[in-house]
Amino acid sequence: MSDIKIKVGDTIPQGTFTYIPWTPELEDHSACGIPVKLSTDEWKGKKVVLVSVPGAFTPTCHANHLPPFLKKYDEFKAKGVDVIAVLAANDAFVLSGWARFLGLQDKILALSDPNAKWSAQLGLSQDLSAVDFGTRTKRYALVIDDLKVTYVGVETERVVSVSGADAVLAAL
Amino acid sequence: MAPTVNVGDAVPEGTFVYVPFTPELEEHSACGIPTKLSTDAWKGKKVVLFAVPGAFTPSCHANHAPPYLAKVPELKAKGADVVAVVSANDPFVLSGWSRILGFGDKILALSDPDAKWSSALGLDVDLSGLGIGLGKRTTRYAIVLDDLKIKYLGVEPDPTQVTVSGVDAVLAAL
Repeated sequence: MSDIKIKVGDTIPQGTFTYIPWTPELEDHSACGIPVKLSTDEWKGKKVVLVSVPGAFTPTCHANHLPPFLKKYDEFKAKGVDVIAVLAANDAFVLSGWARFLGLQDKILALSDPNAKWSAQLGLSQDLSAVDFGTRTKRYALVIDDLKVTYVGVETERVVSVSGADAVLAAL
Repeated sequence: MAPTVNVGDAVPEGTFVYVPFTPELEEHSACGIPTKLSTDAWKGKKVVLFAVPGAFTPSCHANHAPPYLAKVPELKAKGADVVAVVSANDPFVLSGWSRILGFGDKILALSDPDAKWSSALGLDVDLSGLGIGLGKRTTRYAIVLDDLKIKYLGVEPDPTQVTVSGVDAVLAAL
């Protein structure tokens, strides 16, 4: 478990994620989509809520962390958020499948941080090789405004508290 | 990526991880608990195993897995005791994918972490060069085991296609 290296006020390091942009054609599961790259440079001048999970389909379970962000989408938008994204070290195909399963559509981006490389720069990766999961991202939430961090919530136990939708909304 | 085993060989021991299917998983509020499965459990059994480079990847779950699901009864009629899909994804991802595909308890979804067992057979492939976040994976193949001996091995020359690793090829070989 690396130490957290990011704090409120810091500028995030540049990162490049991969993801499959949502299209209605993906919904009938016969198409898989094509991964494209997304650089954090695109977030210049924007307010971004980033939620990270150790893995798609893993406990504490998609029932606890992501669905509230989707449900409160309008509240996030009302508070000036331009982009909401979920992040994990899974590949972009798995994230696209999981996002469809959760009904995220075009409301929440599902971004792949391969090998948790970008998250590691923030001290937000964890080594789960002991259970054959490799390097994963921790469970955390960041609010990034014009590439500067305005909120950091990192879970230290297997719960959803400071990285959850309510905690982030309270910080906006 | 070149098979190092032939029809007639005994497969090396391997341990997969998977989330056993239970009806509670269907409502998606539970995620399940990963358990280990050793190939030792397949002693004396006829097993049909097909491998994909990744859950949710093209050629797409539309082409490889669904025909297996549709023809499980035919595979069983030809003596298959176990039908399973294998990939290097973690067991939670495989469990989620198999629920989306409607596998139920008909097809096991087994995780071969780091494609370790598959690479012991020469059936791994390194996809890091594609630059889309895929690393060491299983290539696309189908294998029929009878009492842990290989009766059929179909390895796709082009892992984006489904020919010798598809259910029809396996049924013809059973």
